[in-house]
Amino acid sequence: MGVSDWFRERLGLDDLPFFRTPDYMYNVNYWLGSLVAAAFIYTVISGLILLLYYNPEAGYSSTEFIIQKVPYGSVILYSHLYGAYAMIILAYVHMFRNYFAGAYKKPRELLWIIGVIMLVLTLGTAFLGYSLIGDALATSAVDVGEGIISSIPGLSIFIPILFGNYDAGDYGRVLAWHIIFVALIGLLFAFHFFLAEHYGMMPSKKVKDKAPAVYTKEEWQKFNPWWPRNFVYMMSLIFLTWGFILLIPNALAYLNGLPQQLNPFLNPKPAPPPNSPAAAHITTYPPWFFLFLYKIADFTSDVVIFLFIGVIIPLLYLILVPFIDRSPYLSLTKRRLFTAFGILMITYLIQTTIWGDLTPGVEIPIAQQVMVYLPPAIITLVGVFVMPAKTNNKAIANPLSILILLVTSILFGGALVTLIASPSLLTIIAFTLFTLVFILSIKNISPIALKIEKQEQTIITPEKPRNRELKKKIAEVLISILFIFAVILASQLWVIPATGYLSNLFGIDLGLIFIMLGEAISLYHYVVYRRD
Amino acid sequence: MIKFRLGKGEEREILDYSNLTFFRKLASKMRDPKTRFDVKEFVSKGEDYLFNYTNKNVGSVDEKRRKFLKSLIFGIAAAAVVGIIPGVRVLVPPTVTVTTGFPKSLLVDSSGNPIKASSLPVNSPYIIIFEYPMTGEPNFLINLGDSSGKPVEIQPTKVVVPQTGKTYDFPGGVGPNKSIVAYSAICQHLGCTPPYIHFYPPSYVNPRQLTASEPDQLTAAALLAAKEANVPALIHCDCHGSTYDPYHGGAVLTGPTVRPLPSVILEWDSSTDYLYAIGSVGVATYPNGSNGIPSQDPTDDLSSSFGSPVGDKTTVTETENPFSS
Ligand code: FES
Repeated sequence: MGVSDWFRERLGLDDLPFFRTPDYMYNVNYWLGSLVAAAFIYTVISGLILLLYYNPEAGYSSTEFIIQKVPYGSVILYSHLYGAYAMIILAYVHMFRNYFAGAYKKPRELLWIIGVIMLVLTLGTAFLGYSLIGDALATSAVDVGEGIISSIPGLSIFIPILFGNYDAGDYGRVLAWHIIFVALIGLLFAFHFFLAEHYGMMPSKKVKDKAPAVYTKEEWQKFNPWWPRNFVYMMSLIFLTWGFILLIPNALAYLNGLPQQLNPFLNPKPAPPPNSPAAAHITTYPPWFFLFLYKIADFTSDVVIFLFIGVIIPLLYLILVPFIDRSPYLSLTKRRLFTAFGILMITYLIQTTIWGDLTPGVEIPIAQQVMVYLPPAIITLVGVFVMPAKTNNKAIANPLSILILLVTSILFGGALVTLIASPSLLTIIAFTLFTLVFILSIKNISPIALKIEKQEQTIITPEKPRNRELKKKIAEVLISILFIFAVILASQLWVIPATGYLSNLFGIDLGLIFIMLGEAISLYHYVVYRRD
Repeated sequence: MIKFRLGKGEEREILDYSNLTFFRKLASKMRDPKTRFDVKEFVSKGEDYLFNYTNKNVGSVDEKRRKFLKSLIFGIAAAAVVGIIPGVRVLVPPTVTVTTGFPKSLLVDSSGNPIKASSLPVNSPYIIIFEYPMTGEPNFLINLGDSSGKPVEIQPTKVVVPQTGKTYDFPGGVGPNKSIVAYSAICQHLGCTPPYIHFYPPSYVNPRQLTASEPDQLTAAALLAAKEANVPALIHCDCHGSTYDPYHGGAVLTGPTVRPLPSVILEWDSSTDYLYAIGSVGVATYPNGSNGIPSQDPTDDLSSSFGSPVGDKTTVTETENPFSS
């Protein structure tokens, strides 16, 4: 404990107004924000390394230079890209989880609004970063972006301010804004983090089912102190996140010849430069996180309407929701309309993204738009309003139920698009099938949540000490095994060539070691701290 | 350790030493006024309170175990650090290998035998292609002749780049009759490749081609330009109608292209009759930047993003005869 105490004293950790945490909160559900932060930190570090090599006057060739010539350059570049991807996905998960948990309510309104602003900044940063590659896709994405901006009267003055001499191959402005946006996210993050520590994490609905859902100072005092337990837990999450950010893109680098539809989602490599003959043969699509906007742009030729549907209305809704939803109730069935809006937002986001991927740039007539967007709306509204009310105060939105809902809504959206694209008996059957599953999953969101809540309760009742001891013993053995594997992998890292085809193995191996480290720390946390 | 003997060597463990220290610690904490054990609370809350109390004050895991586990964790962390060390090479700037020049490549046929310059057909309607300087970058190989099919000596000339107004020197033809030339087969307008862009021998530069279907159509503008420039044959791109003059360094005859076709510098070895590609002149095949202003330096095409160098041999292929009649 010597080292730990040393830090505790030097850093004055006990005096910091950090949230003391009750036992049941050591569950990823409550720590989604730290996953986003982990992805953010990783992306910043790797971005700073890239900054040593990137030359904004020759965007594409310096990207190629980093991939081909810089030692482990492709590892850094691909994981930088996927760090950003992870940050976007995790930010969405974090946001929707808190939306369904009602975490935007009093007193956390400001925390929520800052979070929404950070999401916007993150998407903006990602767009700018994507444009820095200067490949055919980035150039066409910028062209589309410029087209949207310039068709709104008065806004076109921003194009040179934002993009500078982009068309002439000078990415200096884009790089500068990319970094400025990151700095802004960093500032807001500090604010967001301290607000979160100040209010403390949202208590479970079992404990507080009405806003303001905060623990009082007295309750708080009984919980586990922040240091070192929260730190240990956080470390395990951070290393796990970093591990996957390194592992996935570097493994994908070995995947060749993806079908076009998967390319926007899975390909970490840049496309050809915009003026090479190869560029004529690729379908242009925007980065996946803007596919939904790209599709909405096909709905109407009026840019103002487009901006209202795609950007302004959803954004205003998210920012204003703490003030619209004034009821103190946190349970989903006591704010059915907001529950429905949340589900619809997720469904539409995914649906439109997939649609944009399948039919990039194809214009969609109004009748078809209605066909695609009306059914989920009806189903969701009906589903939400037939949710049994007696499960009220116990219904919670946990990642599992949201995940199930996500999957079924993806399937539903996909089936619907296929049905419209090629109506046949098969697609009709598939569509009916997936619609049923989708309805069921919506209707079930509350019972599923209820079941899991019950399970949690049973876990909380202390198990037999002997059983617990056995589990801890197993955990200890696992840590030892992880240690052996980590050492083997680490020694392997030394023989991987720094550039060329094999260099991405470095990212895979390092990612695995990080995952092992994260897993080991989490097991350690279990052995040392868990009592239940 | 306190043990209990059950006869015949069977022993039952009662109290491990570590358990003993644990109890001692717990007992002293319970007596300590700062952390006094609240019996009333224990009665009302039961076991939960005891667990909580023990954990807070003594810790459920004894020191030895904790230390061992910690050392393992630090071991894995150390392994991660050791593993990252080779990765720190990312900070060492790589020595930039400037692409110094083009490879010297012998032109060979599909079975690997060198092409003989004197056996190249004059005015061949076939599209004859070789890749140079990078794989995936096609170039035409043309033995130019006049309208009666006799080889024509191609003079060195200055070629103008209409886009920038600048000029560069085209070295002229090679081979026994100085009639063999090679031009990039990537249209400088938007990058169309054969068969949409190809050589039209003199017999096909006539009004009949106006009504032919792709890829052997000619535009009226192209025909007119050929007549005005007094050239019997031309290179034409069906995509948008760009026309190039093969007799004068691939210069622009009609737009929409604003750049001539880059030429490959050929070398002819008169003793063996072999042909070599040794470099390029003109603008870079792939313009830098997206505004389409080409680099003045054709070595820009040697960037690895366009493929790998073809090496010291490159295969000449006769792809097809695009003319239907
Ligand atoms: S690409 Fe050849 S004329 Fe347009």
